Amino acid sequence: MTEKLISRRAALTGTAAILAAAKAALPSGAFAQGKGPETSKARLGFIALTDASPLIIAKERGFFTKHGMPDVEVLKQASWGATRDNLVLGSGGGGIDGAHILSPMPYQFTAGVQSGGKPLPMNILARLNLNGQAISVGNDLKNVKVGLNSAGAKAKFAQLKAANNPAKVAMTFRGGTHDLWMRYWLAAGGINPDTDVSTIVIPPPQMVANIKAGTQDAFCVGEPWNGQLVNQKIGYTACLTSEIWMNHPEKALGMRADWVAKYPRAAQAITRAVMEAAMWCDKAANKAAMCSIVSGRQYVNVPIADILPRLQGTVNYGDGRTLSNSGHVMKFWADNASFPFKSHDTWFVNEDMRWGVLPASTNRAALVAKVNRADIWRAAAKDLGVAAPASDSRGVEKFFDGKVFDPANPAAWLAAQPIKRMA
Amino acid sequence: MSVTMLASTRNDPPPKVMATIKAAPTPAAEVVSLPPRRPGPAGAGRFKDTLKHLTATVLPPALTVLVLLVLWQIAMGGNTGGLPAPLTVWTESKQLILDPFFDNGGIDKGLFWHVSTSLQRVGIGFSLAAIVGVALGVLIGASVWAHRGLDPIFQVLRTVPPLAWLPISLAAFHQATPSALFVIFITSIWPIIINTAVGVRNIPSDYINVGKVLRLSPAEFFIKILLPAATPYIFTGLRIGIGMSWLAIVASEMLLGGVGVGFFIWDQYNASRISDIIVALTWVGLTGYVLDRAVALVGRLVSRGTAAS
Repeated sequence: MTEKLISRRAALTGTAAILAAAKAALPSGAFAQGKGPETSKARLGFIALTDASPLIIAKERGFFTKHGMPDVEVLKQASWGATRDNLVLGSGGGGIDGAHILSPMPYQFTAGVQSGGKPLPMNILARLNLNGQAISVGNDLKNVKVGLNSAGAKAKFAQLKAANNPAKVAMTFRGGTHDLWMRYWLAAGGINPDTDVSTIVIPPPQMVANIKAGTQDAFCVGEPWNGQLVNQKIGYTACLTSEIWMNHPEKALGMRADWVAKYPRAAQAITRAVMEAAMWCDKAANKAAMCSIVSGRQYVNVPIADILPRLQGTVNYGDGRTLSNSGHVMKFWADNASFPFKSHDTWFVNEDMRWGVLPASTNRAALVAKVNRADIWRAAAKDLGVAAPASDSRGVEKFFDGKVFDPANPAAWLAAQPIKRMA
Repeated sequence: MSVTMLASTRNDPPPKVMATIKAAPTPAAEVVSLPPRRPGPAGAGRFKDTLKHLTATVLPPALTVLVLLVLWQIAMGGNTGGLPAPLTVWTESKQLILDPFFDNGGIDKGLFWHVSTSLQRVGIGFSLAAIVGVALGVLIGASVWAHRGLDPIFQVLRTVPPLAWLPISLAAFHQATPSALFVIFITSIWPIIINTAVGVRNIPSDYINVGKVLRLSPAEFFIKILLPAATPYIFTGLRIGIGMSWLAIVASEMLLGGVGVGFFIWDQYNASRISDIIVALTWVGLTGYVLDRAVALVGRLVSRGTAAS
């Protein structure tokens, strides 16, 4: 207990900025008066991906301890399915309280879709990253120039379908971000992901092997699998997801809503720790140190060389295109990467409606208001003395194919999409 | 010994064993083949004997392994990106092979710790399966109606793969650990039930008659006749069952995560480290072998030599 107090005091007196924040928070909250979190424990899941870094770093660099949560556990999950099952169990049932999660998943669970039969109300406390995923295809699509534009694949996929062997397109979780990027990319090229190809859920490591065996034609996943496919010369990167939508939101820190309601101050402490970790991760000077922690056997478990280059914006597409020091990097803090914009969550809900994952009757605004806890992020930012975005909306978003998403009018976006599956 | 003596003179047809189950030897055949106790030569002679015995049991498998490794190396040596050759496994997973006891905290531990954690889970799940399985096996072996009612259900359920039991047990228990143990339990119980039932059904009628002549109470009949007569079958079932319980470990640890050889294998698969998986599989195989020997030994002791070794 004394240790906790000391570290808290150290945190508060450490920088003038934080002191100022503490002063600023005095009139409104009890925080600055030293009321600590209600619990020091939480069990958080993660999947072995680079974008889990803020959680891993918050644990390894002691940010959880600094914010009075020394007993936070960061636990590796076998798959997104296992993350879901353990969230449904909760730590009381031997599962987890929160997780590094695909941003649409908390919405699916809260709405009672794919949550094991009954709704599992969840909250999003922070975004974990922007960008950093890619769509990969087999080498046989090189000659039809499949890249950011998927239209070249249309004839080949039609051929496969006519032969009663529709192209197999893989992603990691139904309705998850990879599913949505893949579907967006296909549909933008005139390919209907529901009728022209078959989409399948596959564990990430299986993706490279399946392309090699010829049982799969394309996949969307985080690194290092896209890079590995290029290194093994059996396929290439068609496009980075940041080319589809620059600075797109990706993973989130999701927690069970009942946990957040029971331990509001602890939820804020976790948010603060993850925000500080995100700042740390985004400093260029820390990239190498971050990679050496994250690539360890306990976490992502890959050679550092597999994750560092693409984190620094160096990309070899594998079909002659290369990028170096590009803006196409995974962001943890820059450009408000950590802030959970409600406008982004509206896009995810809207897009899951487009593809029939969420019912067309879903009340977007109500669901987003229920799940998104930007208010917790704002309170945490105040405590940390960092600036928060003025609005919960990042405004109008532009996509590579010229489509525009206005969060104030999501229905117009759906109306403008020629390919969709809505009941 | 009286039981086995009777067995050699009985004239029942040999017990029918289901095709899917390793046939337990009939008690009669086993008794006939019981080797006479070897006269114990003293001193150097005995040592030479043991040496000869060791050479005969250790050398053939060692040579086979060596030949397989060489063939494997030749077949996969030049191949990168596919199945790693033995020398590649050695260079890539040296630390894992040489030091099974390291502990870097979290789930970054040596294989000994992974295997021993899994062993505890297998131990609990399998023990429960053994108790429940033998009890159910006796029931459906002894009662025609229990057999008629339960056997078809068991035959259907035993084909369900371990991974498919995971969501079902999760839905039923709402707890991670019981669900994981249940997957092990349910995977290993079927051969125990079925073999026990076969053993009980094949108690020679002579034994039953002897029981009647001696007017044994049901409890005495159970302990003195039924159990000893069915023991070889029960242990055949237990040996198959303990092998099956290792099949379930990957499925059950997929949910539990953390330390354990099943999650280790899944985790290395996620990280595409085939060499580490091969090392882990070797551990699983050797542990399974030791467990199988241990159950066989217990079976031999309990049945005084009639259970298969």
